[in-house]
This record gives sequence, structure tokens and C-alpha cells, in this order.
Amino acid sequence: MKLLVFVLNKEEYMEDVLEAYVEAGVAGATILDSEGMGRFLAYEVPIFADFKEFMKGNKPYNKTILSVIRNEAVVEKLKRLVDEVVGGLDNPGTGIMFTIPVDWSTGLVREEEEV
Amino acid sequence: MALVSDYLDPGCVASGLDASSSTEAITTLVGLLAGAGKLKDERKLLGDVLARERLTPTGLEEGCAVPHAQSDALESTAIAVATFKNPVDFGAPDGRGATLVFLLAGPKNCAGLHLKLLSKLARFMHDPAFRDAAKAARDTDALTSLIRERDE
Repeated sequence: MKLLVFVLNKEEYMEDVLEAYVEAGVAGATILDSEGMGRFLAYEVPIFADFKEFMKGNKPYNKTILSVIRNEAVVEKLKRLVDEVVGGLDNPGTGIMFTIPVDWSTGLVREEEEV
Repeated sequence: MALVSDYLDPGCVASGLDASSSTEAITTLVGLLAGAGKLKDERKLLGDVLARERLTPTGLEEGCAVPHAQSDALESTAIAVATFKNPVDFGAPDGRGATLVFLLAGPKNCAGLHLKLLSKLARFMHDPAFRDAAKAARDTDALTSLIRERDE
């Protein structure tokens, strides 16, 4: 079992990305509003205020999608679908996806009830 | 990792200075950089640091400040530091004047290094042990040594 974390910088792709999640077989996910470190520093910490120009072009806000994956094949399928949607996660500033092992959980949708 | 000591010429360290305003303190620190031969244009750097200060003041809490600027007035990054006998108003959130002031100046094409050093200086000054020792440093040698030790 893995925790799949996806920080999507291009929020305009959110709908298509979630459709990819469903298509890949991800039964559920939690979506968090998040923000980049650069935005926080430039706008919330006065000594970094002059770096607003420096971060221009970077997406200040992003979405973080958390999902627990039972079948690792889902991750591979999802990666392929998400790459198609966003034009490749290898492009800087698009998003970051990674997994972390999960050694215990409760409250998940039962496997037989997953879509 | 960027070390503050690598950009701090011993001639750009001063202690026990007097300044009646942030402008005067910044002018003195810019003068230290100019005196050490770090600047192409002293007036230009002074103008750029003061302009940056007008954007948002660079006073930190607990009596510290980090005025800074990226400027065409110099070719490579340089730092100056001074302690002041009396608190100088740098618009800190806690309303306290600064007695420990670092000036960071770098060329416009070195934003990454500037950010790293600025973050490091802010961390130095968020460290109560360093902050208190630096303010109490008896002379420039002691202040320079403290910075070197904190750098490691």
C-alpha cells in the first residue's frame, strides 16, 4: 500500500487530472489547496518582498492530491495518464508526484467497494 | 552551501557605531563596502538599498535588520555588518530598533545566491544565542569570529 502525493501546479488541469485518477482506478483522494514556498516568502515575509518579480511565471498556488493506493500498477497507469493530461511531469513547474509506503491505515474504502 | 564568511571582508565589519536613522546606518554600511573596494558605484548601491527599504522595511524582531539589494553597483556579492550603540529604527514588526545590522548586496544576475545568503542571515538572527553574542561582541574581531563559528 502506498500514499500517492501529487502537487499539481497547473490548476487548470485539475478536472482532467481527477478524471485520469478515476480512469486509472483510484477509488478516492483528498484535495488540498496549497501554495509554493516562493509565493509565501515573497508575500508574507517582508525581507523577501523584493523577490516578487523573481517568482513571476511560477504558479503561486497549487493543489495537492493525496490518495492511498493498494495496487502499485495503478500508479504506473496514473502516471501515464497524467503525463498525457499535463504534457509531461518532467517539464519544470508542472507538478511533482511521488509515493510513500503506508504501513497502517483505517477508514479506507473497502477493496471490494472500490470502483 | 553558501557561507556568509566567504562574502564578508574583515574590513566590512564594524562595532559600536552611532546612527540616528536607518538611512544613516545603511550609508555607513555601504561605505564599509566601498572602503573595501567592493563597489563600482557607491551612490548607486546606496540608492538601490534605500529603494528596497522603502518597498518594505527589513527590520527583524529582537533588534536586528538585514537591508539588502541586488544592484548594478557591484560585480560580486558582498556583505557588511555592524553593531550600533543605540537602536536604529528599521520598521521591525516588534517595534524595536536594530543594534545588529547586516547589509547584503549582490549583482542582479545572482538571485539564487542572494536568496540563500538572505535566508541564512535571517536564520542567524533568529538564533537567540548568536544574536545576543553578536550584539555584545566587544570588537570587530570578536564579531567576525562569531560569524565564522555560526557559519560552520
